[in-house]
Amino acid sequence: MRPIILAMHVLIVSTVATLAETGPVQAILQEQRDLIVKSSRKTIGPAIEAVATSGLPEAQSVLQAWQVKNIWMRKSDGLFFLGEKIDSKTYRLIDFDSGDTVGEFPKRALKNIKPNSGIRALIGTALVQFQLLDPEPDRRMAALDAIERSPDASLLAPLRNSIDDESDAEIRARKMRIERLLTIAHGTSVDERVAAIEEMSTDLGVDVRAALNPLTRTKIMAFAGDIPEGLNVARRLSPGSDDLPREDAYALLVATDLAPAIVGRDAIRDALIANLEDNSAGGVQAGELGTDEARLRAYGVLARAGTVPPLVTDAEMDAALDAHIFAAVYAEASSAVTAAAESALVRIANRVGISQGADLALDALSLASIYFLAAIGLAITFGVMGVINMAHGEFIMMGAYTGYVVQQFIPHHTVSILVAVPLAFVVTFGAGVAMERLVIRWLYNRPLETLLATFGISIALQQLAKNIFGTQARPLTSPSWLDGAWVVNDVISISHIRIAIFVLALIFLGVFLFIMHRTRLGLETRAVTQNRRMAATMGINPDRVNMLTFGLGSGIAGIAGVAIGLYAKVTSDLGADYIVQSFMTVVVGGVGNIWGTLLGATGIGFLQKGIEWFNPSNTLAAQTYMIIFIIVVFIQLRPQGIIALKGRAAGD
Amino acid sequence: MKSLLEVSGVSVSFDGFKAINNLSFAIGDAELRAIIGPNGAGKTTFMDIVTGKTRPDEGRVLWGEANISLLGLSEARIAREGIGRKFQKPTVFEDQTVLENLLMALRNARGPLQVLFYRPTPEDLDRVHELAGEIGLLDALDRKSGELSHGQKQWLEIGMLLAQEPRLLLVDEPAAGMTPAEREHTTTLLVEAAKSRAVVVIEHDMDFVRRLGCKVTVLHDGAVQAEGSLDHVTANRKVIDVYLGR
Amino acid sequence: MPQSVIARNPSVLVFLAILGLFTLSVTLMSEWAGSEIVSTSFVKTLGKTLCLALVAVAMDLVWGYAGILSLGHFAFFGLGGYMIGMWLMYERTHRIVASSLAEAPIPPTESEIAGAIGNQIFGVVGSSEFPAIWAFADSLALQLLLVVLVPGLFAFVFGWLAFRSRVTGVYLSILTQAMTLALALYLFQNDSGLRGNNGLSGLQNLPGLDHVPQSSISIWFFWASAGALALGYVFSAWIVSGKFGSVIRGIRDNESRVRFLGYPVEAYKLFVFTVTAMIAGIAGALYYPQAGIINPAEIAPIASIYLAVWVAIGGRGRLYGAVIGAAFVSLVSSWFTGGQAPDVNLGFYTIKWVDWWLVLLGLSFVAVTLLAPKGIGGLVDLWTGRMAPDRHGADLGPDSGSLREAEAEQ
Repeated sequence: MRPIILAMHVLIVSTVATLAETGPVQAILQEQRDLIVKSSRKTIGPAIEAVATSGLPEAQSVLQAWQVKNIWMRKSDGLFFLGEKIDSKTYRLIDFDSGDTVGEFPKRALKNIKPNSGIRALIGTALVQFQLLDPEPDRRMAALDAIERSPDASLLAPLRNSIDDESDAEIRARKMRIERLLTIAHGTSVDERVAAIEEMSTDLGVDVRAALNPLTRTKIMAFAGDIPEGLNVARRLSPGSDDLPREDAYALLVATDLAPAIVGRDAIRDALIANLEDNSAGGVQAGELGTDEARLRAYGVLARAGTVPPLVTDAEMDAALDAHIFAAVYAEASSAVTAAAESALVRIANRVGISQGADLALDALSLASIYFLAAIGLAITFGVMGVINMAHGEFIMMGAYTGYVVQQFIPHHTVSILVAVPLAFVVTFGAGVAMERLVIRWLYNRPLETLLATFGISIALQQLAKNIFGTQARPLTSPSWLDGAWVVNDVISISHIRIAIFVLALIFLGVFLFIMHRTRLGLETRAVTQNRRMAATMGINPDRVNMLTFGLGSGIAGIAGVAIGLYAKVTSDLGADYIVQSFMTVVVGGVGNIWGTLLGATGIGFLQKGIEWFNPSNTLAAQTYMIIFIIVVFIQLRPQGIIALKGRAAGD
Repeated sequence: MKSLLEVSGVSVSFDGFKAINNLSFAIGDAELRAIIGPNGAGKTTFMDIVTGKTRPDEGRVLWGEANISLLGLSEARIAREGIGRKFQKPTVFEDQTVLENLLMALRNARGPLQVLFYRPTPEDLDRVHELAGEIGLLDALDRKSGELSHGQKQWLEIGMLLAQEPRLLLVDEPAAGMTPAEREHTTTLLVEAAKSRAVVVIEHDMDFVRRLGCKVTVLHDGAVQAEGSLDHVTANRKVIDVYLGR
Repeated sequence: MPQSVIARNPSVLVFLAILGLFTLSVTLMSEWAGSEIVSTSFVKTLGKTLCLALVAVAMDLVWGYAGILSLGHFAFFGLGGYMIGMWLMYERTHRIVASSLAEAPIPPTESEIAGAIGNQIFGVVGSSEFPAIWAFADSLALQLLLVVLVPGLFAFVFGWLAFRSRVTGVYLSILTQAMTLALALYLFQNDSGLRGNNGLSGLQNLPGLDHVPQSSISIWFFWASAGALALGYVFSAWIVSGKFGSVIRGIRDNESRVRFLGYPVEAYKLFVFTVTAMIAGIAGALYYPQAGIINPAEIAPIASIYLAVWVAIGGRGRLYGAVIGAAFVSLVSSWFTGGQAPDVNLGFYTIKWVDWWLVLLGLSFVAVTLLAPKGIGGLVDLWTGRMAPDRHGADLGPDSGSLREAEAEQ
């Protein structure tokens, strides 16, 4: 019963619908009905354009409905409507022009227009012009994002139109910028494009270069006679030059069917195998075909018989190359545009180079601060006390883990860091003092043994950390105000954490200088460093001074650990990763001098960044060369460090 | 007389402090010479310069008949040229026996390969025994030198110097920390040694210098203050002011 | 003064006798001899341990006798391994490639064979070209020569630069460590020509000896290792026994005094550094075919520090101390980390030795340095009753930092 009633219902309603007038939107859709129904990316263009350029107020909503697969065609008369789902089988149709409900229809009486993803993207592009004028600033921004993703020629006009009415200054600036970039690529006149190129040639943005680069792209082509008129030739190329090796040039001829293919070794072998008869080919026994010479001989016989294509001799190759002209040809037709783009790119490259230099210097400075932080504690223990502490890296690690543990108890990041820094100092100070009391003080004046004993402590501490915290990296989250970066321009930027580390390094330098030159401990430390016995006779307790100095050096390592942990993951190998660089910093800088350490850290930081810049793809190689460089320079020029002790004491 | 060692116009400074200031000094073959001077007069630095440990800022150090410049030669090379040095503190190889110490010092080829294939000849052993006798350590040949008394170590070091057969012997405070009897013995050794070679003794102790009975050079502020017999220099007004008068 | 090395060093005879006895008994208990007591893999472990003992002897020579704490000798060990590994890998791949190409209808040309070998070996690092350093890989004799020459040359160049500038003490240690790190980092690169971090593998298969069971190969290598250790030991004993030994111990204790005696100290250091690097190379060349694989991680600086640890625990300044230390620590280490050691249940916590062994090693190392600077070898002194003069740790000379007291008469 039910289907019959439904069918009757349909019949009545549809009769009503045909009576309705067709509005302008429907008219356009009907004009393009075949294309819309066919729904192919290749042919859909005119249909979308017809809707988008109709100037009708409903155009945007039609396109949006189309994009989200909400347009339905009534099979009975081929009219298009907006569909609204009532239940899985029934849809309510709404007329685009009037916005009135036309009626409810069973799904089988309708055909859904399902654009594929390619078509949806095209519709999206068409929609952009409407979004550019959207009252919501966010939507306008989103539209600009869409333009940047797919800069389409058709968007240029709507973009230009939208600029004048733009009220938001920021969006307006962005619109103008994108307009310039679009003009570079799709401007209608050469003058317009050249003007846009020149205007943008002081901009360092990656998008500017992305817009200019395609203009200067060339393709190497070979021509049998003169180069045809109308081609925008970048330059002529001669085969055999660096730009166009001989083999490549010939391969180009082969690819464009201007010359016969070269018969390579593999081809010769395959041809010989294919032409084996009675266990011989070209009159040569198969067993003798194990040399190039024999193979060539056999192939020559086959080629003369016409069984295989002849070998291309060198002379033939030269002749073919000589007979043709090679040139790099711009894909862009206008020579004025390409010339402007080339010179703009050069100007930009120069500016980018300068900025990159500055950025590199900033990077190097921040690396130097990290090395300085890692090495300063070592400089105290090694430089001032003559004690090599191989466990120094593990003190750094201990500080980082202290920060991690504190964050487990204090979730507020700023507070936890403020607690972690002094706590890390206390923990590692304690560890340092304990180590000095238990181990190092028994080994004074035996540096090699100290080195090995502290190495024993180092492996024990590292394994202990693994046992407690596991081998996976633990996060030490920085406060939100340290997130983000200080951006100067598109090239120069430095993260806030790195700035903080730099500041911390400066603070440490100040604190160290203060302690050494303005406090009793500093005075005593310097006295003990210079003459232990004399200091002892003057009432200074060298044991106490050594203990405190060692604790101080270790404590600073702990704070450095918190700082390093903030930007690197906390693992048990954290300290080991920095120990060699720290040693080199101290050793290069010279013993017993904080300025030397500063100089050493700066030197190594800049050197490492510099070498990475020369060889950016291979950081392993960069590190290798840096170490070798330091070894050679160090032992050849300054065996006692940059700032060396002089005098009779130096030799002993 | 042609001098064996000639130091002229030598200056050296450490961090602005002039340890040696335009010093000139000469000594001939088979001469015994004492150098005295207050602390910081530059006595040890002078030895450092002659033996190549310290490079002077200016001046010349000429050696031997051929007038070789010692500047720029390594310590080992200078030692092989025939200059032996005894340090203030007795420095013998404590973990090795007296015999090993003396054998090491014996004048023989010094290159690694020659030393690697070296086996002591009977003559070498005779010479070692003779030296050990001179320094009174014949019975202690197989003892570790670390077990010796302070004075014995001093003698062993002198013995090692003699074994080197140097043409010039630089001795830094040989009598420090010795008993009177040991001093006596040391004096004899040095005087004996000076019969066949040049010997320069740096010494604080006036009695010891007097007993050596030789020409004396007084250093002060890195330069030669006076030179002559002990009586002559002790009569010198300036010497009394800077050194003896205190 | 007695003239022969053996007579001057009775300990050499004792050592050789013990080594011979050990070799004989392991041989008799091995699968090769039809016994089940010592498995083939354990024979390999013992053979490797003998190689480690040999490199430890070299380390003792350079550190315990000449006082140069080199943190780079395991790098020389690794270089030796790489040199023999190149031949093993090349030759084996050559045979495989040649036999597979022989099935083609026409015989391959030489360049085809070379290309196929290159593809096999370097495909893993995205290349098929033979780097220049593989120029001699097809010749066993040349490659064996390189086992000695390459570490030797490396050590010579580095030592020449360093000693000439009179870099000593901890500075030198740190520089050698940096050198080792640089070498390891270099080898980690894919374009280093030695297969980057893949290293060289399959070294346990000797080319042309596919039909020989590993039980035989392992025992051959065991003998070779024992022989090399014996030769290396006697050679080292010969070096240190005579006047040369006197001089290098003198350098260790008071470098400038030796210089004022007229000895070219730098040349001696360079000689010892280079010769021990060569010995280390030989030890490595015997070790890695037993291990089967070598990669750059093997020569990281930490390995060289462990080498120093072995020598210190065994007792430096005496050759048998180095052997004892290397054998003891590496065997105990593999016992603990191999999971054979029983866990200790404390009720609230179970000590798993796999996790805690390194902690124990580190701490015991500290303890040895502090409490028993003579190491395990010091026990021999107690036994023979020949104690060095007890000086209660008093300062012995002006050259602070030199090794003292540990030297005992052999």
